[in-house]
Amino acid sequence: MSSTGILILMFAGLTVFLLTGLPVAFVLGGLSVLFTVLFWDQSALIILVLQIFDTMRSEALLAIPLYIFMAVILQKSGIIEDLYRAMELWFGRIRGGLAIGTVVICVVMAAMTGVVGAAVTAMGILALPEMMRRGYDARLATGTICASGTLGILIPPSILTIVYSVTAQVSIGKMLIAGIVPGILLASLYIAYIVIISWLRPELVPNVSDVPRASMRDKLLSLRTLVLPTLIIVMVLGSIFFGIATPTEAAAVGVFGAALAAATRRHLTWTTLSESAMVTLKATAMILWITIGAKAYVAIFTGLGGADALLGTIQSLEVSPYLVLAVMMLILVFLGTVLDEIGIILLTVPVFLPVVRFLGFDEIWFGVLYALTIQMGYISPPFGYTLFYIKSTLPKDVGMGLVYRGILPFFLLQVVGLLICVAFPQIATFLPALMSN
Amino acid sequence: MPRVVSAYVRGVTAVNHLLFKACSLLVLVIVPVMLYAVVARYGFNTPSDWGLELATLLFGPYFLLGGPYLLHIGGHVNLDLVRQAASPRLNRTFDLINYPVIAAFAAILLYYAWPFAMQAYELGETSYTSWNPIIWPVKFVIPAALVLLFLQAVAEWFRLLFNDLTPPAGEGVEEGL
Repeated sequence: MSSTGILILMFAGLTVFLLTGLPVAFVLGGLSVLFTVLFWDQSALIILVLQIFDTMRSEALLAIPLYIFMAVILQKSGIIEDLYRAMELWFGRIRGGLAIGTVVICVVMAAMTGVVGAAVTAMGILALPEMMRRGYDARLATGTICASGTLGILIPPSILTIVYSVTAQVSIGKMLIAGIVPGILLASLYIAYIVIISWLRPELVPNVSDVPRASMRDKLLSLRTLVLPTLIIVMVLGSIFFGIATPTEAAAVGVFGAALAAATRRHLTWTTLSESAMVTLKATAMILWITIGAKAYVAIFTGLGGADALLGTIQSLEVSPYLVLAVMMLILVFLGTVLDEIGIILLTVPVFLPVVRFLGFDEIWFGVLYALTIQMGYISPPFGYTLFYIKSTLPKDVGMGLVYRGILPFFLLQVVGLLICVAFPQIATFLPALMSN
Repeated sequence: MPRVVSAYVRGVTAVNHLLFKACSLLVLVIVPVMLYAVVARYGFNTPSDWGLELATLLFGPYFLLGGPYLLHIGGHVNLDLVRQAASPRLNRTFDLINYPVIAAFAAILLYYAWPFAMQAYELGETSYTSWNPIIWPVKFVIPAALVLLFLQAVAEWFRLLFNDLTPPAGEGVEEGL
């Protein structure tokens, strides 16, 4: 059979088995291995075993369980509840303040952990009932929580960014740092929107004049809760930015910081640790088994000339590089609505990145655009992850239809953010350029 | 289901469950070891030659041996677009085909992974770093994980075939990420 024939047959097989619900890891791994044995060079499987061994010893990928572990411990440490209470004191009397504060807390959480589920669930439990009680519009409240929760994908440390960097073979440190400014840009867009909408349509937010004024002393005291998060963020991001430690070493230090935060609140027990360890392994094993499956798939895809054929086609099209870029982004947003985001990265990066290099785009910048489109996938119905997380926290009278409508303006803001980053690549590239190698 | 099959299913699942629990605790070894390496290097300027290497050597067994049990608790992500709409009967048919694909994946890779590990064992291969530990035990984790994955896939297939619908005992493994 011709290599094109094999590739077409394989893509058909991938689609069919994905739809039947075979786990992504084994759709990729199983079919690729099967096709390699049946139709192609079997020595490729010896190379695959070698690649698995390389994955096992990857210091870069070791960062994944460490950042997840850090996130799970922080989630159980009680620090988020404390942060939320501090936010209420400071923002409670501002128009739309609780929504603005939710964005701010999500930025802090994103900089500490970067696990989207943790942020959305925590805000769904803490902020949502309080906003509903005070009379915030359900659409505004849920939209804010879902959109802000995804900031962790962009703001370092981010698991998805690490997976992207390893797959694309770009510097993890630079890629992580590159997400800071675009992340803050998005958060600012969200806040600006909330401020503007609460003036234009006052019925969406409650009147704040009857909220009791908190004393300055209470407000200042509440800032104590910010000390440990700030320390953790400065330690982790600072050591990456200044090249003091690798992102993996920084993660280990971050785990220590998280454990400290839990200990000061007397939440560091053996049960907490062993439960956190199990949740961590569950997420890690899921990600890394997909990685193995994807390696098998990439081996057969490039080995049979799929990547070259795609590149040749694009070369012969002679269209604007930005059109190609736009098409790639649209594919990513579409995939994001139906497929797991880790899977998307592992599937598409090996295909897209040669094209990106050929078109002369910056790989770090492209990585940021990737993260931005993945954020859209996270909040867009019907299969955005945040929707599942928030669903479990919704009060009875709020249906998913309301959530979908609430998300729409934030989705548009993400599009705006994406366009800004496309138009001004410096937003993504200037911080990493400052880093020492 | 026949008693032999039932014993097999329970046995395999119990072994993989135990391995999953044991592996999950490895992170409690990896973190202190890395912290020691970081402090030795940046704090006392005496880089340890084994800290970081030991941490990365533990990483492979950590996620590979945790994988087979995930199959039992449904921890490997999949696309449930069609599954939510399909009837339970159709989904059962899907799974009766899907588990053999997983078993085939494990079996084919095992065929290539075994000689890879055996060769390292026969040569007494080490890592060629300054610490230079023997490396073959880590290499044997690949065939071991594949065997366990194969056994679990077969077990899940049996459970399906004999309509054993007991929900997976995923005690302590909560959702949340």
